[in-house]
Amino acid sequence: MEYLDETTKKILKALQNDFKLERKPFKRIANELGLSEEDVISTISRCTDEGIIRRIGVAIKPQKAGFTSNALTAWKVPQEIIHEVGSELAEMKEVSHCYDRECPKGWDYNLFVMIHSQSKEELDEIIKNISSRFDLKEYKVFNTVRELKKTSMKYF
Amino acid sequence: MECLMDEKDHEILQILQNGFPLVSEPYKAIGDKLWIDEHAVISRIVRLLQNGIIRYVGPFYNSRKLGYNGCLAAINAPEDRIDEIAAVINRFDEVTHNYLREGTPNMWFTLLTKSREQQEQIINTIKTETGIDEILIFTSKKFFKVKVDI
Repeated sequence: MEYLDETTKKILKALQNDFKLERKPFKRIANELGLSEEDVISTISRCTDEGIIRRIGVAIKPQKAGFTSNALTAWKVPQEIIHEVGSELAEMKEVSHCYDRECPKGWDYNLFVMIHSQSKEELDEIIKNISSRFDLKEYKVFNTVRELKKTSMKYF
Repeated sequence: MECLMDEKDHEILQILQNGFPLVSEPYKAIGDKLWIDEHAVISRIVRLLQNGIIRYVGPFYNSRKLGYNGCLAAINAPEDRIDEIAAVINRFDEVTHNYLREGTPNMWFTLLTKSREQQEQIINTIKTETGIDEILIFTSKKFFKVKVDI
């Protein structure tokens, strides 16, 4: 965070805490910060290019979008093929989260993949397909029972 | 479920997920692609929020680039102590997600902290308060995706 200049920080903060559904969202933020609309838009665009902003978008509730069954799955994937497997899984619409993780001793399942589907049967099918497609025999499935907490982080 | 959302809603969400227009009048830009006016775009998004199909509209930041450490953590909560243990964990603002799952361990949560020390501190507090000494920590090495496609 230290490497961001003050203006960029102010814009990111306003964007996070004060993004509203209105005709000219960037203009209002600009007015409040005493900046021009062009400055706000170009800063947001630069932060997007630099990957500081992943995207401006929506958080969809998978259950409400028709995905009623979901599971966290963990796969034992060798590092030699992790990039190929991770990138291909990221392309699947049933996959929302896909991370290669450092694991504690005694735990071999390094690729964590959150999978969503319309039924338990379909979910099992997707998991079987992933297993055979990449020849991954060792994995664990943790079906979701219920949500206990879900919030967005306030970074500023 | 499907009836909560029609074709146009679906198209709006797809545009929002794949690239919010960074222009002065973003909803007009979306509307122009779909042959509807900007007020219709905004009111459809408002309705999707009210229906609970979407829970948030706004920016998503890369926590790592903002100096945060993220990890997934798992604890095994005995069946009769689930709510109590969830309450201990969920109290921290740094805990952003927590889910009860089948299997062992059964409680999986994510933690975003400014430093490894803070991460350890929170994990240690959870261990002390729950009396459960085993919490698995999975730090993220590489992320391939965080997004719900529709």
